[in-house]
This record gives sequence, structure tokens and C-alpha cells, in this order.
Amino acid sequence: MEKLLGMMFLLIGVSAVAMATVPEIGVGSAGSAIALLTGTLLVIRGRKK
Amino acid sequence: MHSHLSTNKLPRVLESDRTPIQLTHHPSFGLLTRLLFLAILFAAELLVISVWLDNAALVARGGLIGFIGGWGAWTVRGIVGFAVIFLTFAYLKSGTALTQISRQAAQIPVSRGFLAAHLFAMVTFGSLSWALYGNHTAPFFANLSALIWLVGGASGITFGAFSLIPFTLWVRLVRETGWLSAYALLAVGSACAVGSCSQALWKPAVNLTFSLVKGFLGPFVSGIVADPATMNLGTTKFSVEIAPQCSGFEGVGLILAFGVVWLWLFRRECRFPQALILIPAGVAGIYLLNAMRIAALILIGNAGAQQIALGGFHSQAGWMAFNVVALGFSIAARRIPWLTTREQPAKKLRARSSDNPTATYLLPFLSIIIAGMAAQAVSGDFEWLYPLRFLAAAGVLWILRRKYAGLDWKFGWFGPAIGILVFAMWIAIDSWLNSASNDAMPQALIDASAPIRMTWIVFRTLSAVITVPIAEELAFRGFVLRRVISPDFEALPLQSFTWMGLGISSVAFGLLHGNLWFAGILAGLLYAWTLIRRGRIGDAVAAHATTNALLAGYVLIFHKWHLWL
Repeated sequence: MEKLLGMMFLLIGVSAVAMATVPEIGVGSAGSAIALLTGTLLVIRGRKK
Repeated sequence: MHSHLSTNKLPRVLESDRTPIQLTHHPSFGLLTRLLFLAILFAAELLVISVWLDNAALVARGGLIGFIGGWGAWTVRGIVGFAVIFLTFAYLKSGTALTQISRQAAQIPVSRGFLAAHLFAMVTFGSLSWALYGNHTAPFFANLSALIWLVGGASGITFGAFSLIPFTLWVRLVRETGWLSAYALLAVGSACAVGSCSQALWKPAVNLTFSLVKGFLGPFVSGIVADPATMNLGTTKFSVEIAPQCSGFEGVGLILAFGVVWLWLFRRECRFPQALILIPAGVAGIYLLNAMRIAALILIGNAGAQQIALGGFHSQAGWMAFNVVALGFSIAARRIPWLTTREQPAKKLRARSSDNPTATYLLPFLSIIIAGMAAQAVSGDFEWLYPLRFLAAAGVLWILRRKYAGLDWKFGWFGPAIGILVFAMWIAIDSWLNSASNDAMPQALIDASAPIRMTWIVFRTLSAVITVPIAEELAFRGFVLRRVISPDFEALPLQSFTWMGLGISSVAFGLLHGNLWFAGILAGLLYAWTLIRRGRIGDAVAAHATTNALLAGYVLIFHKWHLWL
């Protein structure tokens, strides 16, 4: 969880730079995409062993 | 404290911040709590500054003012980026040292003197901002005012930081984390430099993209129109100019960041050097998918759906490609024996391990995001397929209904009362931030027949009042709030509280709300408080549903459609 969150914070930072240079990238779609990626990774790693 | 969760079972330290406590106990204001307060204070001030000040107004002016106009935004990004990287990795790698600092911080009161100095510096900063950005200073004093303005802003940050965390603890924090501050500075400097210089790399990259797109179009259409001089590519019916920023460079940057950090964080699971091949594979994958995206966009436009091609598909397909490559990267890193040191479970065992509480709490929320991305990708200037979001979430909630039977869905007056409070706060912040927004009903909806218009509004309202509150409360309050405390989050009662969980769940919730992110964070804090105070998911859902129902009424009665679009 901590590792994934750390990674997602960095991704948000990188996408913020991307959004600054490419105005077509919407803030909303970036947030949804990163939330989807984080959530899916958590589900994949969350399976009980 | 809950008896079944002993401190030594926690995966990481910072006990004073991470150990769940009941609200009836006196909370311990450790390092993390103070950093959270500091982040909220600075975020609120940054929000005011970013709305009020426009650096573009300064760029044309020379001297120090022109320098501020050109580099001000990059400097703010750099400061925020440094703070995020430093604190994230300090938390991940230096937990023991942070615990000791946290205990020390808990014994030191907040410095009112520095807090007053912070307020004074920010008032000075605000007054000079009015003079500087409004061009109210005499030319002779302009640069001097700019210098005092810079000193005021820097002093404000410094005094604010010292008010909550004393100088000696900051020094200790930097010392205990070794070279981390230097690495974070280097990473931020590199990111800003690459970000500002990346445009120089667009031109060569776009030539390759142009050739790839032309190659992908070949088997599907005849009579391709291609002009490398103007980068125009398409058919006789529909063509696009491949702009330099569409070269796929941003996707490559995102995958590089994702891949490098993944391999470092999960290095114990990876088999080196084989795992390094995932980086070039990911870069090649995202580059090819970007070219396919542009080819598909041209084919959609050629088929007659030009609005969809240039509207929703253009913006959503890139993020879908990124998610596909990033997920493919992580699955390959975990599942391909040649790349991972993890023992692969036998097939029978894997089938039996299907009990996944994380999925139970997250799938309704994820289904809304997936349906939303799909609906937007096939939309032009209006999302006609919004009802998909409701149907997707309702379907998942129905399939998993037995798993939710154990949760307490009852609610009292407290939840709706908090919902009304959040509604009032939301409207106030929105009125301030989005006063110039277009409030009219979208033209596409006006032009539609009455039954279609009513159907769309009904599904939009049902989604706002039923599926979204349930899905988001399960995800952010039911899951994130407790998962931060323990991997076995279901074993914890819903009242379990840590400042870390409160901060992460609320910030993540807020970031999903576009330019209303600050209102989203405050709403997240209040919904979390509702859950912690009442101990029932039903109260948090009732609070959220009340807010959304009032917002729906506000949109429909007062024609504030920007809140729904």
C-alpha cells in the first residue's frame, strides 16, 4: 500500500508536468486514470493468500 | 486502542500517527499530524494564490518581475514536488528515525510566535501581490517591490514550517534521512528541466509517429492523404495535423516514471537484470499504442463520427493506453517466472484464493471510472452514455450484495446534517472559483427530445444520489481509511482512526474533483469524521448522498450545470 501510494504520488507529479505542457490532457481524465490504475493494482495485490 | 492490533504488528512505524485511536482519546500530535496541518495550510494559501495571480501578466515585463513571470510557476511546482518526493521516501525508507522525531514533536507545543509571523508575512505577500500583478507600482520601485514580495513569500513558507515543527527537528529530519534531500532536489530539478526542454524532443519524435500512423492506416483505408511538411495525415474525408505534443512523448515519460519507480520499490520481487527489459518494452508499447490511437482517431473521423474522434476519444484513449501498458508491466513483473523471484501459486491454489476483500470495497468505484472513461471515449461534446456509469456500479453492487450484508447501512440525523454542511461549503468554494463558468444546460441536451432529456437527467441524478455515494464511501472511507492502518483492514472496526488514514483518504478523494480539489479534501475529511464518529458506513453514505442530492437540486433548479459537466 505504502509503495503503491508513493508511486502514485510521483505519477501525479509527472502527469502534472505533462498537463502543463500539453493542454489537451484534462485534469479530470488524469485523476480518473491514475485512480483506476492504483485501484486495479491494489485489487491485484489484495488477493488473500 | 484496539486490543487485536498490537503496535508491533504494524508494517511501518510512526506509531503516534499510525496506531488507530478512538476519538474519545486525546489525539497525539506527532510529526505526521503536524505535516498534515502544514500541508492543508499551504494548500489553502496556494489555492488562493493560484486563483488570484496570473504569471502571464508579468512575463512581458523585464527585470526581476519578468523573471518571476517566467519561472514562478516552475518554482512552485519544484517546491511542491520536492516536498512530496522527500516526505514520501522519508516515510518509506526512514521509518524508525521518523518515529523518534515524531515522539519528540508530540511534546513540543505549536509556536504561536512563528504562526503570527507567518500570517504577517502572508499579509505582506498579499498586499505586494496586489501592487505587483495589478501594475500599481512606480517603475523605479517595481524591482524592489518584487524583491520584497519574494522575501515575503519565502518568509511565509519558512515561518509556517517553523510554527508547527521547530528548526531543530527540521535539521534532524534532514540529517536522519541522509542524502535523500539532495536526491529529491536532483529529481525535481531534472523533472522541471526535462518538462521545460521536452518540446525540443517533440519534432524528431513526431516524424516517427507520423510514419507509424501511416503504416497502421494502410490496411484499412485506400487513398491516404499524407503531407510530412505540414504533418497532415488522413483520408480525403477526414484528416488531422499530428501536433508535436501528440508525438507520444508524455506517455513515454509517464511509463518511464512508473517503470523505474516500480522496479526500485519492488526490487526484491524482481529478477535482475532480466526485469530491466520491462522498461524498453513499456516505452515501445506506449509509443506504438499512441500511434494506434491516432490511427483509430482518423478511422473514426473517416467513418463520419468526427466529433467523437476529436472530442472524447482524443482525450481518453491516451489514458486507456497508459493504463493498459502500466498494468501489463506490473502483471508481467509479478507473473512471468523469468522476471520475478516470487513463487507462483499452483493453479488450484490460485483458484481457491479468490476471496479478495479489497475487490469487494473497490470494484463498484472502479466500475464507475471504467464506464466513465468508455462513455467519454465514444462521446463528442456531450457524454450521452453517462447512464453507463450508473448501470455499471449498480450491476457490481448487485453481484456483490451478499458481501455487503455484514455492513451496517443504517443512519441517523448526523450523516444528513454533515451532508448539508458539505453542500454549503461546496457551493461557497465553487462560487468563488468558478464564477465565470457557463451555467447553461448543454446545447445537446436542449436539442434532444423531452423523453431522452428526462432519461439522461434521471440517470444522472440516480447516479449522484445512490451509486456514487455508496461506491465512493466503500472505497475511500470503508477501504483506504483502514487499509492504511493494516493490510487486514476488515478486521478493524470502522471507527479506527489514524491521521495518516484520514489524510490519505481525504487527499485522494479531493484530487478526483478537478479544480474543486480543496473542497473535495474538506468533504473527504467531513465524511471520514462522520464514519469515525458514528461507526456505520450508512452514516457516511447518507452524508455523501445528501450533499449530492442537494447539488442535483441546485443544478436543476438554479441552472448551475457546470457542476455536473
